[in-house]
Amino acid sequence: MASAPSTRRTELILSLGVLALGLFSTVVAFQLPEAGGYARIGPNFMPKVVAGGLIVLGLWLLGEVLTGGWREATPDDPAERGEHAFLPSAFLWVTAALFAQMVLIQYAGFVVAAMVMFACVARGFGSTRIVRDLAIGLVLGLLVFLFFVKFLNVGLPAGWLEPFLGTAGT
Amino acid sequence: MSETLAALVNGFGVALAPLNLLWGFIGVTLGTAVGVLPGVGPALTVAMLLPITVKLDPTGALIMFAGIYYGAMYGGSTTTILLNTPGESASIATALEGNKMAKRGRAGPALATSAIGSFVAGTIATILLTLLAPVVVEIALKFGPTEYFSLMVFAFVTVAAVLGSSTVRGLTMLFVGLLLGLVGIDDQTGQMRFAFGVPELMDGIDVVVLAVGLFAVGEALYVAAYQSRKVEQLESLSGSLWMSRDDWRRSWPAWLRATAIGFPFGTIPAGGAEIPTFLSYALEKKLSKYPEEFGNGAIEGVAGPEAANNASSAGVLVPLLTLGIPTSATAAILLAAFQNYGIQPGPLLFQTQGPLVWGLIASMYVGNILLLILNLPLIGLWVKVLKIPQPLLYAGILVFATLGAYSLHQSVIDLLTLYIFGLLGFMIRRWGFPVAPAVIGLILGPLAESQFRRALAISQGDPSVFLTSPISVTILAITAALLLLPLILRLVRRPKVASSA
Repeated sequence: MASAPSTRRTELILSLGVLALGLFSTVVAFQLPEAGGYARIGPNFMPKVVAGGLIVLGLWLLGEVLTGGWREATPDDPAERGEHAFLPSAFLWVTAALFAQMVLIQYAGFVVAAMVMFACVARGFGSTRIVRDLAIGLVLGLLVFLFFVKFLNVGLPAGWLEPFLGTAGT
Repeated sequence: MSETLAALVNGFGVALAPLNLLWGFIGVTLGTAVGVLPGVGPALTVAMLLPITVKLDPTGALIMFAGIYYGAMYGGSTTTILLNTPGESASIATALEGNKMAKRGRAGPALATSAIGSFVAGTIATILLTLLAPVVVEIALKFGPTEYFSLMVFAFVTVAAVLGSSTVRGLTMLFVGLLLGLVGIDDQTGQMRFAFGVPELMDGIDVVVLAVGLFAVGEALYVAAYQSRKVEQLESLSGSLWMSRDDWRRSWPAWLRATAIGFPFGTIPAGGAEIPTFLSYALEKKLSKYPEEFGNGAIEGVAGPEAANNASSAGVLVPLLTLGIPTSATAAILLAAFQNYGIQPGPLLFQTQGPLVWGLIASMYVGNILLLILNLPLIGLWVKVLKIPQPLLYAGILVFATLGAYSLHQSVIDLLTLYIFGLLGFMIRRWGFPVAPAVIGLILGPLAESQFRRALAISQGDPSVFLTSPISVTILAITAALLLLPLILRLVRRPKVASSA
């Protein structure tokens, strides 16, 4: 069964990706020391096996691409999978949410980071009620913060809210 | 036998201690509540709730975990029946008939037969676990590193190559998991591998970060991109919750047959509950006196798969507790939970940590009863959880997902790793790679490597030891047959396929 050219291209890229991962791991594995001891094999043995396996599997996937595409592949047309077309904005909002949190958690603290992330994810899923989402995110962030920091003693950064929440976090 | 009984009675002493009973109760409640959420399967439920137990003593924490594990299974079936979005492959069979029943206004009996069936199957399977575990432990005590290694290879191959639609894609994910498992300090020589000088990577990659990344972040990215503008029909819970006499008559044989299918499948590395649920569905369809109802909401089609699902989830605990080998993604995360407490499941665990193991097993009997109570009268509460709008649901899931990853080292690097695994999870879902082999490879890979090196150290580097031990060579031969037979069959069949195409 021949597949569409765009599917072929993606499958080709992914197959080459697996192959590249295998080659890269091989390079790393060969830089590891031998040092076998009684077993006669050292910390570099398993990495070589895994790297070799990835190379073989990359070639195998590549072979399937060159002989008519991956077998039993997921349908390329979203409608066939019962889904709508790829929505770049939704994907980017969720991505933005996670990166916003990575930045904010260090400076603004867990609660603010959770609030912003919550609203961004909700936006990505099509919510237009930004104020409501921020409010829910804030409450959820606060509850989680209090539960983990005060009750479970897990350290979370309080950040900008330190004057209100105290320094029980980190 | 009497020893087992005495140990179990002691176990009940542990499980029924007020504090442990409380942890068990919290576990089943949280497990159900999170498991009900659409898109959250048992593996993600267990992974997301892992941070909550950090401050508990090991026994309490593991009892809570068993509760979460069971609760997630029960919760998932509610979602499947009312929403027709199976959170995991094991629920697909239930969705076939369950959602049809709900559409015809029979949501109540569908939920009841799945809850009672889960209870019956869960309890019988726990009894089987109680009886079987000491027997397996006896055998496993005779295993050395050689046999363990062969057994792990067997688990790798069945989970990765035999299950799923594509052998090559399954194996690819296994090797990705194995590669991730190599990251960090080699525990035998102290050699740093694949860490590239990043301190957060020196500890190795945490299975929770991988699982939450693949299941939560990957799922959120995927659903946002492909499904977020689709409206799901939530079936209302109208009419009676009670099963009629006829429903009972048709349900109970299905529960028992499904238990007989589900439990053995759980104990072998066959990727958890997916295969037994479909087998049970097919069997019920074949045996039913009302085959015309199948496809329109036949109660046997709900009773069977749900019971099989629960029986196999108890079966999965046999290899996990007695051998330390996880056979599903969820079991791999449970193993990680054990390891967090410095506990390595295996035959020795039954000797050194008897009260803990038997307390855990006893807590499953208790948990099943708690879940029956939680799920029948309180079903209305869980239906409300299902009404949470999708944007808020996924936003909430990601708050908890990132919390779990961040609390490991208080480090942003873990959040970045989480996102990278999220991208991997998105690609896996989009291009049809299976998830379980990666999770199992990550956690079982390092154990397999150390058994391999230990076996070779004993044999002074002679690799033929894997072929001279009778147990080991048998397991390896079965493994090779499982891996090679489909390939050979495909090669033999190829000319015909080519001519018909």
